[in-house]
Amino acid sequence: MIRLEGVGLRLGGFALSEIGFEIPAGGYGLVIGPTGSGKTTLLEAIAGHLPLTSGRIVLRDRDVTEAAPERRRIGFVYQHYHLFPHMTVGENIGYGLREQGTAGRGHRVRELAELLNLTPLLDRGIGGLSGGEQQRIALARALAPRPGILLLDEPFAAVDPATRRALRRELRAIHEREGTTTLQVTHDFEDAMQLGDVVAVLAGGRIAQLGAPEQVFRFPNSAFVAEFIGTGTVLRGVVQRLSHDGSAEGTEAVGGGRFAARFRSGALDLEVAAEREGAAYAVLRPADLMVSRTATAGPAPRNRFAARVTRVEHGAAVAHVHLDVEGTALVAAVMTTTAEELDLVAGLTVMVGVKATAIHLI
Amino acid sequence: MPLSRWSSPWSIAVWLLGALLVLFVAGPLARLLLQARPASLAAAFRDPELMASLWLTVLTATSATICSLFLGVPLAYLLARVPFPGRRVVAGLVELPVVVPHPVAGIALLLFLGRQSPTGRALGALGLEFVSHVPGIIAGMLFVSAPIVVSAAREAFRGVDPKLERVARTLGDTGWDAFRRVTLPIAGRSVLAGAVLAWARSVSEFGSIVILTYNPKVASILIYDRFTLFGLPAAVPAAVVLLLLALVVFVVVQLLAPEGGVRR
Repeated sequence: MIRLEGVGLRLGGFALSEIGFEIPAGGYGLVIGPTGSGKTTLLEAIAGHLPLTSGRIVLRDRDVTEAAPERRRIGFVYQHYHLFPHMTVGENIGYGLREQGTAGRGHRVRELAELLNLTPLLDRGIGGLSGGEQQRIALARALAPRPGILLLDEPFAAVDPATRRALRRELRAIHEREGTTTLQVTHDFEDAMQLGDVVAVLAGGRIAQLGAPEQVFRFPNSAFVAEFIGTGTVLRGVVQRLSHDGSAEGTEAVGGGRFAARFRSGALDLEVAAEREGAAYAVLRPADLMVSRTATAGPAPRNRFAARVTRVEHGAAVAHVHLDVEGTALVAAVMTTTAEELDLVAGLTVMVGVKATAIHLI
Repeated sequence: MPLSRWSSPWSIAVWLLGALLVLFVAGPLARLLLQARPASLAAAFRDPELMASLWLTVLTATSATICSLFLGVPLAYLLARVPFPGRRVVAGLVELPVVVPHPVAGIALLLFLGRQSPTGRALGALGLEFVSHVPGIIAGMLFVSAPIVVSAAREAFRGVDPKLERVARTLGDTGWDAFRRVTLPIAGRSVLAGAVLAWARSVSEFGSIVILTYNPKVASILIYDRFTLFGLPAAVPAAVVLLLLALVVFVVVQLLAPEGGVRR
């Protein structure tokens, strides 16, 4: 278990303030944030390399705020691996096992080498290894003493996309096999969606949002979070309550404490389910925008408007359709096969529909 | 612009100027080596005064180098890693002996460690005499050679990523263990190369020692002594022996030069 309570620290001109979250034993947490938001600093504070100015760090129900790094029983993997250059791969992996006998150390090194496909490399030095190999060695080295808690600093940042996907799978499998409580720092929300049980979005040394990855993705609590994690298009506008007859007067409840309203931003005038009136941000998730060639095709959501296709990015399964609504840019996600069937090309005018309840207001 | 070919007047000028300096350095040393007759050189190796002087030089230079390492390596580590107030001042102070003329260093040491000074009296009470004693030789050598060790070690430690030690700490090492198992093995060759240079600098020291401890005579003082008392022919064999010793050190330093330190 990792629990941070009101953690604060100062490092030169940078400060972390009021950081608090908990990752239960065996859980997988992620800290996500832009460069300079304090992600690595936070990990180093948890590891005991940086002193706190306030708050507590509790690991395995024990307050370790004042404990030296070697007493915290933490495995730490830095972004650039930091393998010991004067040692072989096997010596690197076995570095933290010096209190075990030669036999015990050798057994654990071979076990991890096998788990991470490193066996052929054990006797060689670290020069000339690929990024993926170095990452696996750093991971094996951190796991060797069975630390129980694993801190990962952008572990996939310096590897190619194929290695990244493979490492993600391996990491999740190892996490489950070893039962380590893991906290990973990343700037890629894809990591959080695929690995994390809980995610903390860090901005300017503070937690901007905390929750389950799916929850944070679907319901970002600020324009910053929505834009950073790429939930969708963030529009700034004004919310106005709708009456029963559709005019902007009177009220019409839509459940959950929300009421029917209009959100106006530039040329867009959308029906939404709102909790409050006034200035707001609306988040339009690409998957919630329905694109069709004609006004009559498909289901009929409350909001329908014409848009011009400016660009189509074809992916393996999903195509991202960039749209322009009289100067307002939107992005819709459709199946690649659908994009081909609709023959979506730049310059084409299409109809776009979106349900009122699918628009997330902040 | 590549300088490996005689392709332009600029290249020719660069090569010529470089060659002039090499000639200026190598010429006198070669001339000295050629000057020594094998018979006189063999006699020099049988000369008990010269051998005793050489032995004293090696012993005191080794002592000064060990002191430099013992006191200088921790300071170098602090200067490389710990941002404390006045760090630049301390770094400058430690390197000051490099620009102080060596007789001036000798006079300063005499005033600081002589029996007339409080420090000298206090150390004398502990049985440590400097003026005209062997510790005076070591003090003079330490004063001029310590900056070499500190500077070499500081640069070596700067070259080791502090995150390597942090990783070692999370793997159960104390601060000392991490230094001993990670930083020192990586920086070790550079620190050792600095120590060998410091040793060589100690062997060649004359200016401060001649003021602090003329007797017993280290090799540099003995050579000077023979030159002033008996002329060039008497000084040359001893000078050649000291030069040969310096050449051995030079080769050792070259062999110790760091190669990058990554195991392949």
